[in-house]
Amino acid sequence: MDEARTWDRRGFLTRIGLFGAAGAGGLLAAPAAAAPREPIEDVVGLLRPVLDELARDTMTGLSVFVCPGPDAHSVAQGTRRSEPGAVEAGTPRFLLDALNKFMPLPDELLRPAVAALVTALSDAGVHLPILDGLPNVVATLDKALAKLLQNNATVPLPVVAAALLNLVATGVKPAAVAGPLGSPFSRLSFAEKATVFSVIEAPLPDLVAVLDVHLPQPLKASLSGLLKFLGGALLEFAAFGSYSEFAVFDPVRRKLIARPVGWTLSGYQPDGPVEGWDEFLGYYQGRQEVRG
Amino acid sequence: MRDVIVVGAGAGGPVVAKELAAKGLDVLVLEAGPRHADPRAEWTSFENDANNPLTGFLRLGPTDRTRPAWFRELPQNSFVWQVSGVGGTTQHFYGNYPRPYPGVFDDYTGPDAAAYDIQHRFPFGFRELLPYLEWVEATAPVATAAMGHKEQTFFRGCESLGLPVQTTKTTREASYRPQQNAVLQPHGTAGRSADTDLLHYPRATGCTFCGYCFQGCMRPVGAPRNQYAKRSTDNSYVPMALTADAWARGGKPSTLITDAYVTRIHAETRNGKLTASGVTWKDNTTETEHREDARVVVLAGGCVENPRLWLNSGLPNPNDWVGRGVTDHFLDWVVGVFDDPVGNPKGVGSAARADFPSKGGLENVGVPPALHAFAMNFSDSGIHGHYANGRGPVGPWDGPAGRLTGPMLKDLMSGRLENLLSVVVLTDDDVQPENRVVRSGLPLGDEHGPVPKVQMWGRKRTRRTLENREFLARRAAEVIRGAGAKRVYRIDWAPLLLHIQSSMRMGGSERDSVLDSDAQSRAVRGLYIADTSALANALGGPNPTLTTQALATRTAEKIFAEHFGGDPWVYADNPVVSTDPRITVRLGQLGL
Repeated sequence: MDEARTWDRRGFLTRIGLFGAAGAGGLLAAPAAAAPREPIEDVVGLLRPVLDELARDTMTGLSVFVCPGPDAHSVAQGTRRSEPGAVEAGTPRFLLDALNKFMPLPDELLRPAVAALVTALSDAGVHLPILDGLPNVVATLDKALAKLLQNNATVPLPVVAAALLNLVATGVKPAAVAGPLGSPFSRLSFAEKATVFSVIEAPLPDLVAVLDVHLPQPLKASLSGLLKFLGGALLEFAAFGSYSEFAVFDPVRRKLIARPVGWTLSGYQPDGPVEGWDEFLGYYQGRQEVRG
Repeated sequence: MRDVIVVGAGAGGPVVAKELAAKGLDVLVLEAGPRHADPRAEWTSFENDANNPLTGFLRLGPTDRTRPAWFRELPQNSFVWQVSGVGGTTQHFYGNYPRPYPGVFDDYTGPDAAAYDIQHRFPFGFRELLPYLEWVEATAPVATAAMGHKEQTFFRGCESLGLPVQTTKTTREASYRPQQNAVLQPHGTAGRSADTDLLHYPRATGCTFCGYCFQGCMRPVGAPRNQYAKRSTDNSYVPMALTADAWARGGKPSTLITDAYVTRIHAETRNGKLTASGVTWKDNTTETEHREDARVVVLAGGCVENPRLWLNSGLPNPNDWVGRGVTDHFLDWVVGVFDDPVGNPKGVGSAARADFPSKGGLENVGVPPALHAFAMNFSDSGIHGHYANGRGPVGPWDGPAGRLTGPMLKDLMSGRLENLLSVVVLTDDDVQPENRVVRSGLPLGDEHGPVPKVQMWGRKRTRRTLENREFLARRAAEVIRGAGAKRVYRIDWAPLLLHIQSSMRMGGSERDSVLDSDAQSRAVRGLYIADTSALANALGGPNPTLTTQALATRTAEKIFAEHFGGDPWVYADNPVVSTDPRITVRLGQLGL
């Protein structure tokens, strides 16, 4: 790996949040990274939980964007609320579940996607804060990521979604690569997070255009289309989950174990589930039947 | 060999099954999803449990909810809200049965005739369809909707605009009215009590105003299946098809197999013409394949599945119109905030509407909190107050259109769900060949073959479609303001495909239609289509169920005449209502 390419890869891993998350998770200090005996296999094993945690933190940052509360992620985005929000409603887990069940991204699509994301990074010319990190650490992480992807027929969609949000987040605010909380996206203000979605949703964003370059027909436009779909769906699902009974539903008994946060927030069914309401007001103008 | 195989038990398929079963034909209905035989034991009325598109019991997927939902590729910001299972999307619909506007048929000569999608009219007249509309209205049955506070509020807004009240079933001018809906009207304690102990059948009959239409209707408690208030086909036409011998002289009950995913339509050349001969279907549970042959095959798997099945079967597509011309009413959502409660989300999901022939319509909508939050985050205009995504139309609403999210969503919802009045815009949208269903190129084929890809242009609609939508969004905001809302927001929905029509459209020209005027395939004889995909166009904006079922009734007559030498019956007979006690008794005997 030549020096320029090493820095590109470091930038990419940094911007999707992996470099920072790996550091926070102690992965970069592990003997495997510094003086590896079986570097790749060891790091691959360590990388999986790091990716999961990165996805979880990013989804938490997304959840509170839609429904802020009193939690640390809401505070970080500058919209602390006294009443409960998405964290209390279990929305991060709801999103992870939904993304996991929505669709695994096949590696046929993901490998060119990763290449495209790297190209996008190279072309974007975003200046990142100088980070400490030996080139061999970058190379190890990079190889481990490649190995992880190679060993799995599919990559969990939460990881892809988190990578997308973090990549764009560090374009919006390069300093978000480091700081409190576990992902660049979560380190943004509410307005900056909105800007991330404006980039993802833009009719012909440079990023999306670049993504399709690496895809053959008939997949061309499928990846960019999927990302546009994801850009909307992430917000819609976060909203749906935050105001649903997801976190307090017992699927075995098919009953609520507590009042859903969304019901409290909206004043829905103050006395719990009903069979009906005394809401019948008659017929408009007394007309019960029309003909012709 | 069966007489007829019907693929799909949604809004349209069961109509053909019921009508032909009544004539004594041997009808097999294959449904890819579940039959919820005992909703009280299988369902709740909670939004995520019911409506989560990936895991809910009203999702697009097999009966086993631990297995994945069926994937559709959506290469744009959009959503297709499909439901598998007996009843299809009528399981979550609101039971609205408006008639189509006469202007979308080829006999229309009104002064505004040129204002419709005249390139894609129905290849026969409104007068011809009218007896079939009336037949379905009597079967469902359809009635004038009862009123709750959200309807009263909507009407107040319409009154402020000076619109006339429509007092006929057929719409002929801009007007407003209670819906004509297929919801049994409230009697006894229904609608008059919130006491659970008082809302059991038969003390309560008809709609109890529970507000759970989108979560599936299983009320009143204790009612027989064909007495549930909302007339989704799992409560109306399917019970009739399964009990045809009980209520029709010479009737033969249909056979229904669920979790039976049809993966191939078979055709062979007979008398020099390609002719449908049967289907192959896969059991979702055992994953075994089965083949059944029939004299006639009726496709009713929906606007997305029909083209996929057609293309996966290798059937001919000579003019390349299979899957093209999808219409979706290009829905939009406008919401108003009131100082006082306006009854959201109690009562039938929507019981009031306004119509604007040649432009489309509006209807009030009540939904529980998660769906309301979803609806207010589904936009093509970015996030209100932050970015407009190149759109953000302005009008008689507050600020540019866009998502309401974060602190703003919270403030809007904060203890105020009952204070929100939402109105859905139903655009009379043009048939456009670019809006289409194709087979996905993603290597994501499921166990049933390559998956469908639904391409819907959110912005490149025809000028008429776009102008209609803007006109209606403005009227919606004016209605809400006229009713007294303090703030009004337009969301500017991305394509949300809740009403999907015309992907296998019938038409007068061989150049741009898949079906002839009898709903029979031009390319494959003995192959008919009997769901919303057969519609020629978007009906002008009215909800598609009534027209789909009327057309399916007409199609059943055409099948009976051409393939079984029978006579038509709609002009000569009287329909049996789906609540008929003979059906109730037989359902009980069958344990259904």
